[in-house]
Amino acid sequence: MNVELRNIHKHFGKVHANNDIHLNIPAGTIQGILGENGAGKSTLMKILSGFIQADSGEILLDNQPVIIHSPADAIHHGVGMLHQDPLDFPPMRVLDNFLLGRAGGLFPDRKTVARDFTRLAAQFDFSLDPDSYVDSLTVGERQQLEILRLLWLGARVLILDEPTTGISASQKEKLFETLRKLAGQGMSIIFVSHKLEDVESLCGAVAVLQAGKLVGEARPPFPTKKLVEMMFGREISLGARQAASSGRSVLELRGVALEDIRFQMSGIDLDVRAGEVIGLAGMEGSGQGAFIRACAGLTRPVGGRVVLNGRDLTGKSYHVFKHGGVSFLPASRLEEGLVPGLSLTEHFVLAEETRGIFIDRTAGHKLAEGRIKAFNIRGTPASPVESLSGGNQQRALLALLKSPLSLVLLEHPTRGLDIESVIYIWSKLKERCKQGAAIVFISSDLEEVLQYSDRVLVFFSGKVSKPLEASKTTVEQLGNLIGGKDWESLDLEKAHVKK
Amino acid sequence: MLKNNRWINLAFQLAALLLAVIFTTLILLAAGAPPLEAYKNILMGAFGSLDNFANVLVAWVPLLLTTAGLLITFSAGLWNIGVEGQIMLGAIFTTWVMRLLQDTTMPPALILTLAILAGMVGGALWAMLAGALKTFGGVNEIFGGLGLNFVATALTLWLIFGPWKRPGVASMSGTVPFDDRLSLTVFTGLRLSPWALVIAVAAIVVVYLLLQGTYFGLRLKAVGRNARAAFLLGIPTWQYMMMSFALCGLFAGAAGAMQVVAVYHRLIPSISSGYGYLGLIVAMLVNYQALWAAPVALFYAALNIGSIQLPIVLKLDSSLSGVLQGMLVLFVVLVEGARQQLMKKS
Amino acid sequence: MRKTILQFALLAVAFAMVLSACGTAPTAAPVASEAPAVTQAPVVTEAPTVAPTAAPFTFGILLVGPYNDQGWSQATYEGAQYAEKQLGGKLVYIDKVNPADRPGTTASQLAEQLVNQGAKLVIFNSDDMKDEALKFAQANPDIYVIGASLDWTWKDGKNYKESPNQTDIMGRMEYGKMIAGCAAALTTQTGKIGYLGPLINDETRRLASSAYLGAKYCWTNYLGKNAADLKFKVTWIGFWFNIPGVTSDPTQVADEFFNSGYDVVLSGIDTTEASKEAAKSAASGKKAWAIPYDYVGSCEAAPDVCLGVPYFNWGPAFAATIKTASDGTWKSNFQWNAPDWKDINNKDTSAVGFVKGKALSADAGANVDKFIAELAGGLNLWTGPINLQDGTAYLKDGEVGTDLQVWYLPQLLKGMEGQSVSQ
Repeated sequence: MNVELRNIHKHFGKVHANNDIHLNIPAGTIQGILGENGAGKSTLMKILSGFIQADSGEILLDNQPVIIHSPADAIHHGVGMLHQDPLDFPPMRVLDNFLLGRAGGLFPDRKTVARDFTRLAAQFDFSLDPDSYVDSLTVGERQQLEILRLLWLGARVLILDEPTTGISASQKEKLFETLRKLAGQGMSIIFVSHKLEDVESLCGAVAVLQAGKLVGEARPPFPTKKLVEMMFGREISLGARQAASSGRSVLELRGVALEDIRFQMSGIDLDVRAGEVIGLAGMEGSGQGAFIRACAGLTRPVGGRVVLNGRDLTGKSYHVFKHGGVSFLPASRLEEGLVPGLSLTEHFVLAEETRGIFIDRTAGHKLAEGRIKAFNIRGTPASPVESLSGGNQQRALLALLKSPLSLVLLEHPTRGLDIESVIYIWSKLKERCKQGAAIVFISSDLEEVLQYSDRVLVFFSGKVSKPLEASKTTVEQLGNLIGGKDWESLDLEKAHVKK
Repeated sequence: MLKNNRWINLAFQLAALLLAVIFTTLILLAAGAPPLEAYKNILMGAFGSLDNFANVLVAWVPLLLTTAGLLITFSAGLWNIGVEGQIMLGAIFTTWVMRLLQDTTMPPALILTLAILAGMVGGALWAMLAGALKTFGGVNEIFGGLGLNFVATALTLWLIFGPWKRPGVASMSGTVPFDDRLSLTVFTGLRLSPWALVIAVAAIVVVYLLLQGTYFGLRLKAVGRNARAAFLLGIPTWQYMMMSFALCGLFAGAAGAMQVVAVYHRLIPSISSGYGYLGLIVAMLVNYQALWAAPVALFYAALNIGSIQLPIVLKLDSSLSGVLQGMLVLFVVLVEGARQQLMKKS
Repeated sequence: MRKTILQFALLAVAFAMVLSACGTAPTAAPVASEAPAVTQAPVVTEAPTVAPTAAPFTFGILLVGPYNDQGWSQATYEGAQYAEKQLGGKLVYIDKVNPADRPGTTASQLAEQLVNQGAKLVIFNSDDMKDEALKFAQANPDIYVIGASLDWTWKDGKNYKESPNQTDIMGRMEYGKMIAGCAAALTTQTGKIGYLGPLINDETRRLASSAYLGAKYCWTNYLGKNAADLKFKVTWIGFWFNIPGVTSDPTQVADEFFNSGYDVVLSGIDTTEASKEAAKSAASGKKAWAIPYDYVGSCEAAPDVCLGVPYFNWGPAFAATIKTASDGTWKSNFQWNAPDWKDINNKDTSAVGFVKGKALSADAGANVDKFIAELAGGLNLWTGPINLQDGTAYLKDGEVGTDLQVWYLPQLLKGMEGQSVSQ
């Protein structure tokens, strides 16, 4: 389907989020939309998919002007959008979620639908159990479900907002393959991302947004450097890796055994040394989540010992770990990390040690101003956290960390952030390392894992690899390992699996 | 900016009030009643005389106490429907202590003080039961609270019909009234006790300071808005939830105690007078801001008392004030929704 | 912090305003240990006098239930209307005066509302308001009070309290209940009579027992049957009418009676559930009859199963008493008014009456008339030997019960089934 946007304007208060955007996407194109956070990509896509309405401008589908009032309207016109935070309804079964939004049919024929679902899932090699509950799915799996649902609802224009964050390399390849296939069938694919390499490998055309304006368009072969300049209005360079440190152990795992719904892990031994960064790689739900939560005291190991700074904290609660200098930053920032409705000041006050009964608001305000400046957060002390952009929320989370800390545990610290934020956040984390903290983080971005880690642990279906030296590991090796290949080449040490 | 918002909010809430009045007027017209006359009567019934206004304040005291308590549980994100039962348990504990001590030589002031404190403890214990059901039993506080309300009613009835019945009588009318010396002192010629007023006003001030200015209040808010994040930030969430239940129970228990020592002077089956549910409505209407609780609770108490005129003067059913109260909630919720939509757009 | 203080100050001012609105409130700090002024016993010993005026005398009535309950409240309400018509006065009323229907209010508070409407006299129509009635009378010495069914002003009674502006009135319903019991005994085919009792107190024990005495008399004397073969069971619901979730459900209680072989149910409660259930049972083919209570028209609730109704006729007593208040001849007293035996259904003279229902057979009707004639002729069923339920002798052989013995009956009688007392 041919998609054309003309003179799109959108204001949010004083912010001109979309400023006179023109874009023509012929049928069969995979159109990339690049831009840093806050550039107006999401706004533009929400307009196209009916979540919000433009202040002015026109949308033409196959050269027919249409007015899209709602997402249901959009899907009626054949436009489906996959969100950055997949919109689903957690307490439902996968199949029920799949059925949502389908027009007509009060009593859907579940058998037929289940068959459709299985067929579609097989096409993408997605292993989704139609009878499992949505809240048991990982972010990646939820995205897969949403893609299937939109296709099944008859979308002929598919908008994907940052679809590659959170899914594995092999899932990504499958996804790209499918998108190419769909484009070949005449579908228009709009691929919103800040990841240059994804856009470059997939898209047939790229539009770059900056500060609400369309600042450039390009076709393959893409001039990478120029695209980056267009995105940021300047050149950006990535930080360099630091030398691996070999300080004292802050965290010792001795024969730790963990249980998950899907698997059991046992015999995990690891020394995390002060000042080092350990990356955890693996497909979503391969065990790294349970592992990092066990390091935080959020999950109780079924066996073995967890020793923090020489103290055996096995079986102790998260708050004991936290008191011992451990901090945990969860992946879903607004669901687990921050408290929507509370201001930045209130967050900083909460994170500080209490003094007395009454809050000193003036001191709290000063504290907030200082942190906001130090962490370059775009917001005021009174800003409610939900009004911040993703990158700024992540900075706020980092700013909440106490000093000194022994161990910082992060899940997907840079998911969905623009490159500038990613670099900034890592520079802050590296500062922590210099102060003697160890960092353990999960990322599905293999380049990030190799870029910032000293050592890497690979998880596959409950198996844990021995620590790999990041400097001696390549993206290909890592990609194979998280896909379950080449494990025999590794010395598995004591880690084994009981299925 | 913030100030602006506050005035805009106020304007929206006034609009909700206006809409509620318009709709109630339509209902009155449909019922063939003169609306202006009805409103005038409600107004006069509430504020027309010193007596009437004192009666409004008599109703205001337990309602405000209950609302004060509910503001705490609301801050912790809890729907403490069980507040109704907590009022009843407050009344039961108060009655219990009064019965124990009424024939002693203790000074009445001491007996009353002990009885009110016992009522507060009773309310708190009952609330903590709901809290324990939620924390340790995984029972949602709404269902747990509803269940405990039934149990509290049954307990009240059993006491009135059984162990605490009047000699020679078995009736749901209530227990034997306490001696006059065991009533809270009232203003001469009125039904209103200055002590009850002082307790209610103190309660709302304490809750206001607690929620606005203390670490406890801020943490409670964090727990209420995002328990998971609050936990990760280092707040012991379930302990805070339990504390909020206990505190709410204290205030609800005080409301129950007031019903016994300042209004009915005995235990009756409907001792809570529905102030628990009404308190939930008030707390919701003030959007959990303690500052507004006093005037809004006063408004509701005035509606309750003023509407007694409807059956007397206009032969209308006094449940009409219930219609107005319900409409008000409905429109405040609706207008709040509309406001949020508009804010998003602009 | 400064803002907090400011807001706090505002709040304080607001409360100061609220408090100062009660302008006449005493300024001295009240002391809790002092007895409250309002409830102190009045020192007035003489009844207040009101100068007779040309304006119509306004009086009010508080009804415990709905004014149209086809029972107790309607009977007292229509009595008050009768007085209004007789005296050319003006009647104001509030119904559903009970804490379940009007949460947060008390009867004395509502009585004050009637006074605000101009009432110079207030009728409290229920035993449920007895404490409130006395409290109101003592707090408002210039307002007259009539307590229907109360006994505060009975000098010889157990509960006498000096209350010069109050007069308590009751009808001698014992007779009505005896007639009702008689009609039931003459009709029952199973020999099992159920009594749907409200709550347990002196009044209800007295009335249930009177019904039993009437039933036993007619069962043995007119039908010639053995007293031991007559079953008479009382089940109490806990209040004068159904309060969902608080009382037992009278519908269910009546239903249980009919389902367990009781074919006549006498109602002792304010409302007509027994009649309605009887009609339902009869419709399903069972033999079922009911005798409602209180209100002359209550057979209308289910005419085809109604054996008749013993009712109160409050009008004459109300009219006479209110007249003394309006013309300045008031004197506090206690009235326990008997039926006018010349014609118990004379609405201008008889305090208690009985109308026969459609379901009462001609034979039984003739016997009921005979029984009424006997009562009118001086038959007193409250004559010994009468034993209490636990077997203790209450009235010796030939001993005639005094008013005190009848009014304050401590238990149900021997031969009756059902809960009798609470210590």
